[in-house]
Amino acid sequence: MKRSLSLVFLFCSLPGLPAAQISIYQHGTVVRMHMGDCVLAPRGFMMAFGAPAGPPSQDSCPEYTLVSNTVVFVIVGKSSTQLIPLTETIDFRLQKNELAVRVDDARRETKFTIKDMITRSEWDRIQRHIDERMRTTEVHEAER
Amino acid sequence: MFNFLGTMLRHQWLRRLLLPLLLVTTICANRLLFALSTASDSQESSNLTYHSSVSEVRLVFFATDEHNRPVEALQQDDVAVIDNETVIRDFRSFGPAALVKLDVTVLMDFSESVLPQLQQEITNVLQLIAQWPWNPTDNVSVLSFSGTEVHLLCTGDCRSWFTADRVASSARGGPTPLFDAIDTARNLLNQRAGQPEVWPVIILFSDGDDTISKASLREVLEKILANGVQVYAIDVNNPEQPSNGTATLQKIADDSGGRRIRLGEGALRILNDVIADLHSARVVTYVLPESNSDFHSIRMLPTRDLSLQFRSRRGYYITRPTLIRRTVP
Repeated sequence: MKRSLSLVFLFCSLPGLPAAQISIYQHGTVVRMHMGDCVLAPRGFMMAFGAPAGPPSQDSCPEYTLVSNTVVFVIVGKSSTQLIPLTETIDFRLQKNELAVRVDDARRETKFTIKDMITRSEWDRIQRHIDERMRTTEVHEAER
Repeated sequence: MFNFLGTMLRHQWLRRLLLPLLLVTTICANRLLFALSTASDSQESSNLTYHSSVSEVRLVFFATDEHNRPVEALQQDDVAVIDNETVIRDFRSFGPAALVKLDVTVLMDFSESVLPQLQQEITNVLQLIAQWPWNPTDNVSVLSFSGTEVHLLCTGDCRSWFTADRVASSARGGPTPLFDAIDTARNLLNQRAGQPEVWPVIILFSDGDDTISKASLREVLEKILANGVQVYAIDVNNPEQPSNGTATLQKIADDSGGRRIRLGEGALRILNDVIADLHSARVVTYVLPESNSDFHSIRMLPTRDLSLQFRSRRGYYITRPTLIRRTVP
C-alpha cells in the first residue's frame, strides 16, 4: 500500500518539474566567441561532382565555443548577423548535423554549422595545459 | 573531579541545571581560547606584508536600443564582454560612469582639400563652443592643422578666447597632417589622463585624407586606444560621393568608441550626441583575462535582448605586470 502510494505521488509530481528538465534541449554555456570565416569546406559528393563554388565570401561569421556537460562544440553562424544571446546557459539540440540554439525563450531557434567537437574531459585537459603554459610564460617574463 | 560530576548528574534536578551550564561554558571557553590564539598570531602577522595585484579592465560604454535611443534600465546581466574571444559575464563593478570633467580638444582641418567647406567648419566650431553647457572643471582646447604643422589656437579655457578673429589669422592651405594632428591632440589630453572621472574627447573636423603625416593611422589608433580617448569625427566630405577619407574617419570613430557625424548635420547634432553619450555612459570593470597578447580586442554583446547595441573602444593594450615577490621581514 505504502509503495503504491509513493508511486502515485511520484507520478503526480512529474508535471510539476520545470519544463527544461524534461525537454528535448541540452544546456550549455558559450565561453568563447570570435568573428571568423563563413565558408566551411564542402565535403563528399557535392565537392567531387557539384557545380564549381562561387568566390569565397568576404563576410565574417560568428564562431562560438559551446561547452556542455559532456561535449564541447565549435559552431559557426551562417551570416555576420547570426548572433546568439550570450546568457549564462543556453538551450540547444542537435538536428541533422546542425546545432539548433533556442533564442527568445523558445519562440524560435537558430541553426549553426558544427565546425568541431571534442569531449568535455579532453577539453578540460587542454585548458589546464594552456593555463599552466601561460602561467609559466608570465613568470619567465617577469623574471627577465 | 569526574566522580564529583558523576554524583551530581545522578540527581535529576541537578542534571537539569548543570547540563545547560556545561554547554555554555564549553562554547565560551572555545571562543576565549580562539581569541587568545588570534591575539598572539596577530602580533606575529603584523610583521608580514602581503602584496597582491589584480589587473582590472575598466571599460566605458554606451547602450542604445534598435532606434538608437539610450537604454536607461540596463542591468549587469544584460551584457557580456568578449575580451580577446573570452566571454566575460562576471563583472567586478557595473554602473553609470561618473564622467564629471570633460577634456575636449577640437581639431580643425585647415588644409587645401577642405578649403571649400572651411567657412561652414569654422561656423560649426564657434557655435559648438558657444552653446556647450560647460562646467567650471571642463577643459577645452582648439587646434588647427595644415601644411606640415599643428597650430594651437587656444588651450584650457577656449570659451572666452576662441573668436572668429583668432581663426581668421591662422595658417591655411597645403597638405593634410591629419594623423600627426590627432597625435598632438592626444598628447594634450594625456596630461589629465588617468583620472577616472575625466572624459578625454577629440572632436575632429576633417575630410579624413591624410597626405603628409609622419605617424601612421595604425600608430595613432594604438595610442588613442592606449589613452582611452574618444573621437567624434565630423566628416566634411560630400555625403553623395563616398571617399577613402570617410572610411578613415569612420574607422577612427568606431575604434575609439566615438561616432562619425556629417558636417551638414550641424553643430547642434554634434553637441546633442556628445552630451547624450556623457549622460548615458556606463562603466564596467572586470578582472583581466589571461592572454599572451598585449592587445586585447573588445566586443560587447547582449545576453538576452538582441536588439540592444553597445558602443565602446575596440580594444586596449596591457603592460605586462611584474612578478611581485612576497617578502617576510
